[in-house]
Amino acid sequence: MATTAHSTDVPQVKPLARKRFRPADAFFHWALLAAIGIAMGALVWLTVSVVMKGAGSLDLGFLQDKASSSAKRAGFNSALVGSFVLMLITMVVAVPLGFAAATYLEKFAPSSRAELTVIANRRARALALRKEAGTIGGAGALLGSVSVAFGRVWARIGPPIVRIIDVNISNLAAVPSIIYGLLGLAMFVSIMGISKSLLAGGLTLAVLVLPIIIIAAREAIRAVPSSIEQGAMALGATRWQAVRSQVLPAALPGMLTGTILAMSRAIGESAPLVVVGGVAFATQRISANPLSAGDQPLVAMPLQIFDWVERPQQGQWGPLAAAGIIVLLIALLLMNAVAIWLRNRFTRRW
Amino acid sequence: MADSRVDTLEDRSDAVTRERVAETPQVTGAEATSAPAEHGTAVFVADKVNVHYGSTLALKGVDLEIRRNHITALIGPSGCGKSTFLRCLNRMNDLIPGAEVSGSLTFHGEDMYAPHVDSVDLRRRVGMVFQKPNPFPKSIRENLAFGMKVNGLKANDERIEKVLRHAALWDEVKDKLDDDAYALSGGQQQRLCIARAIAVQPEVILMDEPCSALDPISTLAIEELMRQLREDYTIVIVTHNMQQAARVSDRTAFFTVEQPEGGGRHGILAENGDTEMMFRAPKDGRTQDYITGRFG
Repeated sequence: MATTAHSTDVPQVKPLARKRFRPADAFFHWALLAAIGIAMGALVWLTVSVVMKGAGSLDLGFLQDKASSSAKRAGFNSALVGSFVLMLITMVVAVPLGFAAATYLEKFAPSSRAELTVIANRRARALALRKEAGTIGGAGALLGSVSVAFGRVWARIGPPIVRIIDVNISNLAAVPSIIYGLLGLAMFVSIMGISKSLLAGGLTLAVLVLPIIIIAAREAIRAVPSSIEQGAMALGATRWQAVRSQVLPAALPGMLTGTILAMSRAIGESAPLVVVGGVAFATQRISANPLSAGDQPLVAMPLQIFDWVERPQQGQWGPLAAAGIIVLLIALLLMNAVAIWLRNRFTRRW
Repeated sequence: MADSRVDTLEDRSDAVTRERVAETPQVTGAEATSAPAEHGTAVFVADKVNVHYGSTLALKGVDLEIRRNHITALIGPSGCGKSTFLRCLNRMNDLIPGAEVSGSLTFHGEDMYAPHVDSVDLRRRVGMVFQKPNPFPKSIRENLAFGMKVNGLKANDERIEKVLRHAALWDEVKDKLDDDAYALSGGQQQRLCIARAIAVQPEVILMDEPCSALDPISTLAIEELMRQLREDYTIVIVTHNMQQAARVSDRTAFFTVEQPEGGGRHGILAENGDTEMMFRAPKDGRTQDYITGRFG
């Protein structure tokens, strides 16, 4: 009796809804799973087939033997040493250039016209004061006026130029590697007269990875909060002292991670090396001394693998190529592992 | 500690300085020249200071005197330009693209913004503590050593201990000087930043809402520290917290926002004076409204 009396003022409580099948949810769940399955499956299939084919040829002798025209005696040593020297040259050239460029673009490049105008005006006022005070001679005054005029012009054209550079670095990172090979052939081999050697190849790869290194280094520098730099400058540090002692050390793990990933791109490149005169069959001994790189034939792991894959008697050469691929893969995985370790070890949350 | 440190701003050309000092109108009269460094003499004198960011006016016509060995609090609602003004005092605004300061701002009677003045040296003499603790991502020792090294001071253990004692942090960190500074609590980090500022032996310490990211207990510790530091330093503090201004400061400057009819929005200095007077009997109606909590 009481319940019926209540049911008019108290709203009826609804029972919990039953589970139901939602087709869109299910579809996307399986579609996404299929996507990752196809991607991973292809990778696993490739890896397994390569390992099965190459594992038999992969022994210490394979790593020690030089290139040879006989499949029984042929080894990967020349290619291994060649790739190592190549990476060394690439790193020595690309890392300082890339880090310096990134530091300039992030910390010193003129950002806005207003900023540069303020600087130019400040210079103009200083010059006017010195002229009034008579502490500046005719030549000095002329030089000062020229510098002020240049400052005014730079305020107009500087920021757009920096912006153009900015956009084009990203574009350069996307240019196909064979184009870099042609650039290397023209610049290093034809114009600069470097023989078709490890040095020419290393320089070409350096140009290839430079944009990648710059982009990664810039991101790492940008991740350091500006309060660190400001804190340093508030203590009486110059901008360079603040950047060198505080910003760059804090950004270094990120910059190195980016560099390693860039190098792992370079180590697998073959097209640009073919263009600047890479050979797959070194008749000379390869030395690990980069100073003698000028007269070393250009051999590298991907070139050697390419050569082996191309030969007619695949029954003999195929397993060698597979073994070479395994070595190259291991090198790549090691580099990426170091990069991941660096990132996890040194990344901080600000 | 802070006596006889009133030397002239370092400059790149002595001749120019002499010339300029002679022609610059002496806003502060007798106090401006190398006066004895007594408590209460003016350290900074702002005369009609405007700050622009690009073409936007941020702060207009500030006349204010900051006195030696006083704690001056800058209070006011958000966007009133109090932090902007603070950053004029060590030329930190120079680092913001397009920021321009006009009007006259003197440090011990010398025009701080004169073209020949070296802003790097000025920042050594006018230290700063930021809103969010920003220790360097290094050890506690290295945090203190950096400023010392940059300023040509030897970062020996004795000096590091002295600075940490001064910042009331020594007992908490003496056994972990080589630990990462980010392992400290927020309040300890902020005291480390104060220690870092003291380590370069400045004359003035600017504090930009130093307690806004801290819990009440850490806040108390820092306020206590400020009262001790006042013996040796001139302190300017920006704060949102009026109770804090009332508790720690000797003088208070109240900034507010002005919205002229022509459009735009900029900060102005509404009123300044002794803290006690400001809180007990403000002359300006806007100050009255703000401190009684009617706005802001």
